[in-house]
Amino acid sequence: MTNDSFPSGVRSRPISSQFLILKTTALFVLWILLSASFDWIHLGLGLVLSFTVAWVNSGHSPFVPKFRLWGNILFYLPWLFVKIVQSSLHVSKLILHPSLPIDPRLINVETNLGHHGAVVLLGNSITLTPGTITAEVDRNTLIVHALDEVSEQDVTSKSIESKIAAMFKDEEPDL
Amino acid sequence: MEVMSIICILAGLFFLIVAAIGVIRLPDVFSRSHAVSLTDSLGAFLVLVGVALHEGLSPSMLKIIAVLALLYIQNPVIAHATVRAALRAGLKPWKKEAS
Amino acid sequence: MKIFLLCVLVLLALLIGAYLYRVLQGPTIFDRVLGLNGISTKAILLLIVIGMYFERVEMFVDISTGYALLNLVGALAVAKFLEQRGLP
Repeated sequence: MTNDSFPSGVRSRPISSQFLILKTTALFVLWILLSASFDWIHLGLGLVLSFTVAWVNSGHSPFVPKFRLWGNILFYLPWLFVKIVQSSLHVSKLILHPSLPIDPRLINVETNLGHHGAVVLLGNSITLTPGTITAEVDRNTLIVHALDEVSEQDVTSKSIESKIAAMFKDEEPDL
Repeated sequence: MEVMSIICILAGLFFLIVAAIGVIRLPDVFSRSHAVSLTDSLGAFLVLVGVALHEGLSPSMLKIIAVLALLYIQNPVIAHATVRAALRAGLKPWKKEAS
Repeated sequence: MKIFLLCVLVLLALLIGAYLYRVLQGPTIFDRVLGLNGISTKAILLLIVIGMYFERVEMFVDISTGYALLNLVGALAVAKFLEQRGLP
């Protein structure tokens, strides 16, 4: 298998210094969080190791930092948590009911998100809410297993999907 | 603060017990995975928040929050992988009999 | 507080027993995988509550982080293997 555009031993992409600094900072913050000791040996070792790791795998993915998108996702999480609490109470009511009134079904969900990250976020959100679970993902089509009618309404009413589409409206579609 | 953490742990234990009952009672893999996701999303969250409140502001509280974020990232992935494997292996979901 | 935490520990161990019933009894292999997944989540919680009981949370949190990472890799490997092999 020959690949002319990526000869072995040569980087596929020049290292951007901004990306390198960003990744080093992120890894160093993680190091401080996990080691939780502030003497010079630990801090220096952490700086050297995080810079080495960032430099070794800096040529892999075309990674562009999007701070606005990450901020949007951070503000989306509390809304998702309220959703999780509601559906958790519903599912625990179903389980504790003496006659077990469940009616499981598989449903097809067509989305028009057109973005890899958006589809991943939608699938994770659906799986994280109890009562619905993503069983299969194929580009824009999701197969969802729902526990009963009310849980199915959560997915088919598209409330999660419209929220995610509003977050991703500035990105160009890549699917 | 002590009382708040005890209340949080008790609420988390309630969800954990409900999930264990669900894992025993429900009829097939797909519906049992809903019960397991109930544990992961709310039971673990409440128990860990209770422990973090008991710790107060300290490095171990930050580490507990890191474990919580790790659980929230990895548990949907594991549940999706298991259910997809079951579906692709040809397992039919349990249906309620038409009566 | 000590007695309350001891009760929590005993209750978590009993819940692990409930999942273990599903692992031993499960009709298909996927039920067993699901039960193991639930057990590992309970084990993470159990480790952190043990740390709270002995007042050494900062040590036990590290152990539970490593356990969570290993659990992720193991569960994904088992799911991938079963997906390729199909139902026995």
